[in-house]
Amino acid sequence: MNPALIGIIGIVAMVVLLFLRVPVGFAMAIVGLAGFSYLTTPAAGFSILAQDFYTNFSSYTLTVIPLFVLMGAFASASGMSKRLYDASYSLLGTMRGGLAIATIAACAGFAAICGSTNAASAVMGKVALPEMKRYNYNDSLATGSVASAGVLGILIPPSTIFIIYGILTEQSIGKLFMAGVVPGIILTVLFVLTIAWLCWRNPALAPRGQATTLRQKIAGLSGLLEMAALFVIVVVGLFLGWFSPTQAAGIGAAAALAIGLARRQIKWPAFKEAIMETLRISCMIMVIVAGAMVFGHFLAVTRIPMELAGWIGGLPIPPAGVMGVIILMYLVFGCIMDALALIMLTIPIIYPVVMSLGYDPIWFGVIIVLVTAMGVITPPVGINVYVVKGIAPGVPLYTIFKGIWPFLIAIVILTVLLIFVPQIVTFLPGMVSY
Amino acid sequence: MAIEPGAPGAVAPAEGRRNGGLAGLEKGIRQLNGVMKWVGGIALGAMLLLVVTDVVGTKFFAWPVPGGIELVGFFAVLVAAFPIAYTQWRRGHIEVEYFVEKLSPLPRQIVYGIVTLLGLGLFIVLAWQSYELGRSLQLSGEVSMTQGIPFYPFIYALAFCCLPVCLVLVAQFLKIVLGVVRR
Repeated sequence: MNPALIGIIGIVAMVVLLFLRVPVGFAMAIVGLAGFSYLTTPAAGFSILAQDFYTNFSSYTLTVIPLFVLMGAFASASGMSKRLYDASYSLLGTMRGGLAIATIAACAGFAAICGSTNAASAVMGKVALPEMKRYNYNDSLATGSVASAGVLGILIPPSTIFIIYGILTEQSIGKLFMAGVVPGIILTVLFVLTIAWLCWRNPALAPRGQATTLRQKIAGLSGLLEMAALFVIVVVGLFLGWFSPTQAAGIGAAAALAIGLARRQIKWPAFKEAIMETLRISCMIMVIVAGAMVFGHFLAVTRIPMELAGWIGGLPIPPAGVMGVIILMYLVFGCIMDALALIMLTIPIIYPVVMSLGYDPIWFGVIIVLVTAMGVITPPVGINVYVVKGIAPGVPLYTIFKGIWPFLIAIVILTVLLIFVPQIVTFLPGMVSY
Repeated sequence: MAIEPGAPGAVAPAEGRRNGGLAGLEKGIRQLNGVMKWVGGIALGAMLLLVVTDVVGTKFFAWPVPGGIELVGFFAVLVAAFPIAYTQWRRGHIEVEYFVEKLSPLPRQIVYGIVTLLGLGLFIVLAWQSYELGRSLQLSGEVSMTQGIPFYPFIYALAFCCLPVCLVLVAQFLKIVLGVVRR
């Protein structure tokens, strides 16, 4: 049988397995193993399974994942999220909608030390939602802003998704991190403007918070300083070429631990919990990466990515039209799949197509992160919405999804902006040395 | 540390006690997972320490840890492989739940059963092939470039880590079967 046809059967089989609730990493490994064995020999297929798992698990490049996850876990355990929120609140709380704006600002800060969208929403939700409830904020605005603010977690570096994208496409993780900075800041501003506009239209949505004294404002700034210190160490260290990504992650994790210990926030139970959480998340990611590698070997034998790239390149459609279809596809699948899993599944197929069309790989990485981030907050699978629902069980899912829409529009505006002005993404990575 | 309520293979504690042998298997898995995740945790701590020592040594004393990169890679195998069973036990691997959740209970349990067996098959092959790979590298005497550390113990470790995963999947499959039979 034609290898390309086997490849298509394999892709369909994998989608079926995913819909049957086979874990994503397992599904990719199973289909990759079966397909590679069929197209070569069973012995070659079996041996590539073990080799791919071992190669990935022992990869120095991939050690950046557990270390960045550990940094986020230590930062969370050391109470940085609470201090960031307090700092943002002391500066912005008295504005109309100030608590929601403070949540966005604190989440942007937390995103600078944590690479996960769900973690950013969960951590900030625990701090911000009770406060917004106390001040009689509208449930939709309160929960919608927390769920959406989590998106900043995977856009502002360090970002787990950028790391995975960088590894899959052999792009510089440092450049990808830098590429997320300006869009992350713009999205933060757009989210703040969204809240301001909503409150301007309906002031009852968000009453003003209590005024804070100058002393409280200055005290609050200490919460920003430690976040800024961590950001400087990690991202500026990468930017200036002081550290490799793994070294930056290791130093960041050690610094977050040191802050937690100095503040006496991290004691044995919190330390243990941070380690166990890191192991669980890292293992989950590493199994998917290994499965994606097995699947990628199968795809390479079928030659589907190359043939697809050649076929699409020959179509009488302008590259922008093809890119539009790709973005639409990510948007649709992002609604039913986890962002990380979706990127792992599709990048081996889509990336050669995008390169053949002449797009910048770093720019495409940012666009894909943004588009899949929309899936994180849209029904039916919007994971951040379920995270927020877990923190505020009394608020119906419908109410949370209703609160998401204005923020979703902000993400769409940013995506369109980046499509038409790609320099917003590409100018900063051009200055990175690592 | 338990399977989430409502997840495939989840049973009520009282029911679990009635299952006798299965309860014993679960207890064994919990104890084994307890040890496995601690090995992973210690490896993670060691990896962090090694990276920090390497950075400080390189930047301030012009003395990088000899073979630091390969040592970090070896620790990474332990960090990724030892918690696989624990993560599966906690159903921590990413799944697309949306469609199966729409099925009625009996077909859903049947799907869960088939899916669990597929996972079991995968990890049996992975354990076997990792052992074979480790053995071939042991026989050929292959070692790392800088420190001359043999690769095979870490590949054997990967093979070993697949066994608790198989146990977890067997326990989850038995629970599903018991649930369907009792229905």
